Amino acid sequence: MKCQFCERTCDLTNGRSFCGMYMEENGRVLERFPDQWCTYNPSRIESVPFYHAYPGSRSLIIGTAGCNFRCRYCSNGFIACRDPADLQEVMYTIPADRLVAMAKKMGCHNIVFNVNEPAVSLPSLERVSHYARKEDIPMGCLTNGYTTESATRMMMEIFSFVHIGLKGFSNAFYREFVGIPDMTPILRNIRMFAQTCHVEIASPVIEDVNDHELFDIAQFIHDIRPDIPWHVFRLLPEHDMKESLYPNIDRMDQALETSRKLLPYIYFHNFVGSRWVNTQCPNCGHTVIKRFSLGCSGDRLDEFLAPDNTCPECGTPIPILGTRVAWNEKQSVSWEAIS
Amino acid sequence: MSLAVIDAREWQNRFDLETGQPRKSDAPVAEMAARVLSRHPYPGDVDEQANQWVTDTALDLISHYDPDLVCLSYVQQFFSDRHFNHSETERERLFAAAMAEADRFVELSGFTPVIVGTGNMIPLAGDMDLSGLDGLAVSSNWSARYCGIHHPSPRDMEFLNSLDTLERIVPRQEWIDLFQAAQPDLEILQDPRLMPDFLAVAREGQAFKTMGTTLRKPVHIPANNFQVPVVSPFGPVTDLREIKPLIRAHLSTHKIALILVEGVGESFFPESRYMVQNGVDWFCYEPGDAFYLTLSTGRHQPFAYPAGFRSFDKDADAIKFPFSGYMDAVPGHTLGLNFPGKSIAVGNRSMFMHMAFGVDISIECFARNLFNQGCMAVVHRDDK
Repeated sequence: MKCQFCERTCDLTNGRSFCGMYMEENGRVLERFPDQWCTYNPSRIESVPFYHAYPGSRSLIIGTAGCNFRCRYCSNGFIACRDPADLQEVMYTIPADRLVAMAKKMGCHNIVFNVNEPAVSLPSLERVSHYARKEDIPMGCLTNGYTTESATRMMMEIFSFVHIGLKGFSNAFYREFVGIPDMTPILRNIRMFAQTCHVEIASPVIEDVNDHELFDIAQFIHDIRPDIPWHVFRLLPEHDMKESLYPNIDRMDQALETSRKLLPYIYFHNFVGSRWVNTQCPNCGHTVIKRFSLGCSGDRLDEFLAPDNTCPECGTPIPILGTRVAWNEKQSVSWEAIS
Repeated sequence: MSLAVIDAREWQNRFDLETGQPRKSDAPVAEMAARVLSRHPYPGDVDEQANQWVTDTALDLISHYDPDLVCLSYVQQFFSDRHFNHSETERERLFAAAMAEADRFVELSGFTPVIVGTGNMIPLAGDMDLSGLDGLAVSSNWSARYCGIHHPSPRDMEFLNSLDTLERIVPRQEWIDLFQAAQPDLEILQDPRLMPDFLAVAREGQAFKTMGTTLRKPVHIPANNFQVPVVSPFGPVTDLREIKPLIRAHLSTHKIALILVEGVGESFFPESRYMVQNGVDWFCYEPGDAFYLTLSTGRHQPFAYPAGFRSFDKDADAIKFPFSGYMDAVPGHTLGLNFPGKSIAVGNRSMFMHMAFGVDISIECFARNLFNQGCMAVVHRDDK
């Protein structure tokens, strides 16, 4: 029997999936570690980073273990690239209804999955979304996009905002640095997500490895919809590439120049104090959103200057899911009410 | 207005420390600090070169600034021992190497050292998963001993009281009273609403699994170091708080280096060491903000980023000092503050050296959860 969650379509007949998170039982694909989470922590949505969804809001960040990729540079390799069975003593067992209650308890405006790949835990996430919907709490995720069409549709039901990693633009790169043979399903899924979900795209850049593919990525995004925000990450290689040189910021910035003519919302960050994290109105150039970057998982909203999601200077609409949310806008519900 | 110079390797920017806004400054001291930064890229928290980076960077800064007071922290061995399973021989080598690096600094700089260890590390014996409480349990990345309990239900209290891995559960006021008895002018800076209703204290060797604890499970955690080792040529001290006045009293005649070596206990210190009190009664400081601030200010700081602090409820829209970790104000009474001579700090315990010591210039790694973002210089004063 084959697993139908990701494009590896692992044969589960004699074992478990590549990600280590699925198995077969009585002719059904089952999660090996349901409702097991590696973290739960409130954080700014900009730190995920979502720049065009619920600006300023407080997200409950969650993750599980395992991944269907083996990126040689993975920043979270200690969770994503290890056998999930070995990590179970680290995990928290939190049923779906309780996880949503926790989000409310901590005054979180949304729930975002962002440590590893959500495709490896879709049944658990589906259960969470069931309770989150009841409480009017939207869910988002970071994904590598390597899911089957059916799993992608499942994710489109679970998540209303999705941040997809488009890590390069050649099968050669994906083969050598990610460990999959063909990136076509990722491109297909980005197009699918863009039909119903808020989509942002991230591309980690490694100098002399995938920086020459940046313009191709920009062209692909432009052809779907030019207003999709694109995050170019200066990658600090970890895991098997720990010894690699850090990408040069000025050279990367220059490499993005031609892409900026195609896409109005390009962000270049993942390093402290990046000056490329603000949003400019594509029509008049006015700065409509100011942000601050502390590098990995440290971005935050500084000033939101686009009331009603429009440029205050020229009235051009700025594509944003939801509206600006103040960090403490919604007070935590009382403990007694949810316990 | 203090200046922050961020170096992300081959790329530097300057910012106002308080607002985080870009700021131009070509003051000679800032230029000098920026050049020192560019000559010493940070190798990473667990890289063995990280402690050499402290020495080399400090010596470079000294050669250009000629300070009278130097504050250093060597932390590589703490990060490495906490997260990775080394053999006992390798562990001992790491801790000895950290002390040797401090000695190398002393030998090459000629400064008179006051060396403080934060105490032994011991194997993690087990952890307590408090994610199932009706209330909220909050620990922190770097704490093992303390966990804040907010709004516990009667069921929660029953559960906590049933844990034999828990040493005690302390109501907030009792915790405050303990320190107010020892220090009547105790500062409680944080918004009381953010502080926990109860502080849960783990038995030695135990840690907490809660919101805010790290994804990287620790291998070793700090022991209950009620006393920590100190080497001082200026005579004995009995309490961590006495070190600041001791140093200040001798700065008119000596160039002094206050050197912290994290995770290191008395066995790595010379026989001339003193064991000094590190806390009050059942409370002992773990390595981290509260330890550094108590040492630097000479006053107890048990509420400075304690475990259990409900930081996520702070007003994130109005945050100040975005480069300074959890600090949102410049602390008073620090060792370097109001010192008329020149002072510097260098360390690889990230993002709060500049606040903890209040020196003229500090250089520290800019790393979070072992992710190396580069390093930062903070210039509090450029007029000496």
